Amino acid sequence: MGPTSARQRWRRHAAGFAFTGPALLILAAFLLYPIGYSLWLSLHEWDGYTPRWGSFVGLENYRALAGDEVFWRATWNSIVFVVVRTPLEVGLGFLLALLLNRRLAARSLLRTLFFVPVVMSLIVVTIIFQRVYEPNTGLLNTFLTLVGLGGWAHPWLGDPATALPAVIAVSVWKNVGFSLVILLAGLQGLPQDVLEAARVDGANAWQLTLRVITPLMRPILALTALLSIIGGLKVFDLVFIMTRGGPTYSTEVLATMLYREAFELNHMGIASAIGVILVAVVLSIARVQAFALQESREGRTT
Amino acid sequence: MTTAVATSVARSRWRVAWRPRASHGTVWAVLLGAVALSLAPGLYMVGLSLMDNPQLFAGRIVPWPIHPENYPRAWVASNIGRLYWNSIYVSTVSTVLTVAVSALAGYGLGRIRFAGRGLVYAIVLVGLTIPLQIALIPLFMNLRLLGLINTPLALIGPYTAFGLAFGTYVMKGFFEGLPRELEEAARLDGAAEFRIFASVMLPLTRPALATVAIFLFLQNWNEFLFALTFITEGRMRTLPTGIYALLSSEFYGNYPILAASLVLFSLPVLVLYFFFQQQFIEGLTAGALKH
Repeated sequence: MGPTSARQRWRRHAAGFAFTGPALLILAAFLLYPIGYSLWLSLHEWDGYTPRWGSFVGLENYRALAGDEVFWRATWNSIVFVVVRTPLEVGLGFLLALLLNRRLAARSLLRTLFFVPVVMSLIVVTIIFQRVYEPNTGLLNTFLTLVGLGGWAHPWLGDPATALPAVIAVSVWKNVGFSLVILLAGLQGLPQDVLEAARVDGANAWQLTLRVITPLMRPILALTALLSIIGGLKVFDLVFIMTRGGPTYSTEVLATMLYREAFELNHMGIASAIGVILVAVVLSIARVQAFALQESREGRTT
Repeated sequence: MTTAVATSVARSRWRVAWRPRASHGTVWAVLLGAVALSLAPGLYMVGLSLMDNPQLFAGRIVPWPIHPENYPRAWVASNIGRLYWNSIYVSTVSTVLTVAVSALAGYGLGRIRFAGRGLVYAIVLVGLTIPLQIALIPLFMNLRLLGLINTPLALIGPYTAFGLAFGTYVMKGFFEGLPRELEEAARLDGAAEFRIFASVMLPLTRPALATVAIFLFLQNWNEFLFALTFITEGRMRTLPTGIYALLSSEFYGNYPILAASLVLFSLPVLVLYFFFQQQFIEGLTAGALKH
């Protein structure tokens, strides 16, 4: 192509903005503006009803949160949620993907069935599991009694000690299929010659899995884990419907606390501050993700 | 060295003799157990939906005799026809709008080198990761100010916007992968940029459009937080919040009816899933696999 004239260049910039313009406008109105609004609101005390936002209080809302036991409880629960859920989700997904990554007659059917929980609506899943955990006639306790473990029967969601693990279990159940599909695709994309070479060298199935496949899969495992971490920090529906954060805040997470502060207690400033903190945490983790991905990509080319 | 290879070959031959069978049995046992676990809750829900209350309170798992009349009763009790209509309307309109806008933006980002492209893309990436809870209060306040609470627009606006980052991201990746020659041939013919987009490039992206549309539709269909906050009137609710409202209504006492409503809610998506599983799986994992 010849040298582009100033007019052509100008036309190219204009075309770029014409194509991305609608998206940019919508994102500005529904994403950038709300972020700014929330930042601003987090510096005010407001019940949400007076026509304009209430009085400016500076960082008072953040200071109030720092001294609020419930906030620390919610933060701790969010961390536990992620730290327990992610290894289970990725680990079980990887295990099943490894088992599926062979010549099985029904491989594609099994994959389809494992993905069913991912397709199901979270609201439906949550209401079902509420019933599964029901102390008297729920599936879990009925089943335990049936196999002679009646002593283990338990009010799973009613006891603060078991409520959070019970909620996490549902989340893992719902998302294992997602990890599985991503990891299986990763396994199928591994360089066959390397695997074949290892096999010829006499590596047995265990050695092949631990020493060859797992290192090769590290970038995809990391990606799956980080998607799970970010998803875990955003969790709302599951907790809100299943326990509403209870009993006694034992399952309260940041997102449910935000909703409660805003729409049940009318603390718009506090709620906005929680939102700002949540965004800061997620974006910094995403930043680490981008970094890790870049590193692993560079590692792959060398 | 040679002895090591020799023993390992011998060992592997020995393994071939017995291992496949044994490991195959374990593998199948684990896989079938896991499949049973994946499907059990859904089947349990179907079972519950066919019981009556005495069976439920007796802690039965298999319904017998079955009570299929729960379904027509659930249909009426949860006003599910209306909920279906609201959900279909809101999800379809938002999905179509998002797909159209993200195809344009994906083309702009993927094929045109313009000043500020990096910044636009950065905004898209932020939209991809940010927790949407941050927009909840600002949107609620503004929708209330505009008198849009309890109207379909209160959901169509946010749904269109919040699918946009994902749609643009996937479409950009797809447009980038298309060969240059097509575009150049059209350009030599003097076609304008929009013509190249609409009649040369866009038809080639049909698979990506389908992927994006399925993902967005499902996301809109299942969305709960905004629907819960922006729609407070029963008549205007979508399926997820309509079903949720049943939990606090008189039907909570009649669990089989609730279970039948859950089945009615889930059925269309599951049927579509079994017909278009490849597209579903691709759609739902597209964001992860396109890196």
